[in-house]
Amino acid sequence: MPPVTCPDIHMKSYRWIFISLALLAGIGLGLAYGWVMDPVDFFDLTPDTLRADYKSDYVLMVAEAYHVERDPDLAARQLAIFGTQTPSTIASSGLAYARANGFSDSDIALMQELVTAMQAWSRIQ
Amino acid sequence: MRRIPWWRLGAMLALLAGLGLGLVYSWIISPARVTDSEPLALRTDFKDHYRSAIAAAYAATGNLPRAEARLSLLADADPIEALNAQAQRMLASGQSFEQADQVAALASALGEGITVEFTSTPVTETTNSIVSTSTLLPDPSEIPPEITETAQPVETQATISASTPRPTQTAVPTLGAPFALTGQETVCDRNLPDGLLQVIVFDSRRRQLAGAKIIITWDGGEEEFFTGLKPELGNGYADFIMDPNTAYTVQLGAGSDIASGLTTSTCQTSDGETFFGGTKLTFQQP
Repeated sequence: MPPVTCPDIHMKSYRWIFISLALLAGIGLGLAYGWVMDPVDFFDLTPDTLRADYKSDYVLMVAEAYHVERDPDLAARQLAIFGTQTPSTIASSGLAYARANGFSDSDIALMQELVTAMQAWSRIQ
Repeated sequence: MRRIPWWRLGAMLALLAGLGLGLVYSWIISPARVTDSEPLALRTDFKDHYRSAIAAAYAATGNLPRAEARLSLLADADPIEALNAQAQRMLASGQSFEQADQVAALASALGEGITVEFTSTPVTETTNSIVSTSTLLPDPSEIPPEITETAQPVETQATISASTPRPTQTAVPTLGAPFALTGQETVCDRNLPDGLLQVIVFDSRRRQLAGAKIIITWDGGEEEFFTGLKPELGNGYADFIMDPNTAYTVQLGAGSDIASGLTTSTCQTSDGETFFGGTKLTFQQP
């Protein structure tokens, strides 16, 4: 039996490193494909996942209705679909987005009115 | 044949195994979190909330183009049908009649392509041409400054699919108010099912009223049904198939007029063929 030499040991180590790197590369490729290139298609989502402009437009819808109906309970219930945040926080977020993204003055006025109403409503609750 | 070295084969297998592990982790164990979804991806009940909000906003502003733009985000195959179906679901589940009425009113407005004005004080502040990054907001200039309410056509044929427009946010009709029988006629139409009893219910403003309970009784039987379950025929429409050898009585709630002795009638086509005709009843709140 021939003696084991240093070059043999180094060669075997190099091969195992190569295999490990291949494994890591595979994992990286799999993650990139699954998270970026072809992520899972979601459906049946909740409103808190909506993009900010859709959330803001929803707040505007509630504000438009509130301007006529003057029912803060109803407005708060409509805003509550966004989950854990308070109605006034949700309305404020919508207003902030509207101001930052050039919504019309009339729309901003409506949303401001809703924010004020929701803040008052929160204090009563 | 040249053999592939074991370590090269192992590397290829490791690459494939890693790829599989990565996909399992990214698709199943920890898929990418959704933060920027669109309304069309919402769960069905949240889509209903979204439609209700659109309808409430439309009832308040009368801005039909904006309502249409918002509805398009839900990507319903037939938005009018989706709205009508939701209105029926809301009534059936005992939700607020006013909210269901707003949804049905938006469906009617879409069906007729009308833009109506609201009765409340609008926000009259004119806007400058500020361009929003959001694509869902139509130009506010689309809101007509002043629109007068248009005359409301009254449906006379139950088989016409157009429904009465409901242009303004109005007081909710009192469901308990007595209804008067304002019309009773025999219908001989070969295109309709034999013995079809059609009931059309109007509120005091001559708008078809959805969700009205109809009680039909006959010797040895009774059945209750509601208007609006066939929105394509009108929100105030309901029907029932009569047996040729039975007399029926129809009533809408306590205190309403009663239509009794309703039977099928024998009709004849121009070819001499006979068939059973039906009856059409019209009820209205005084």
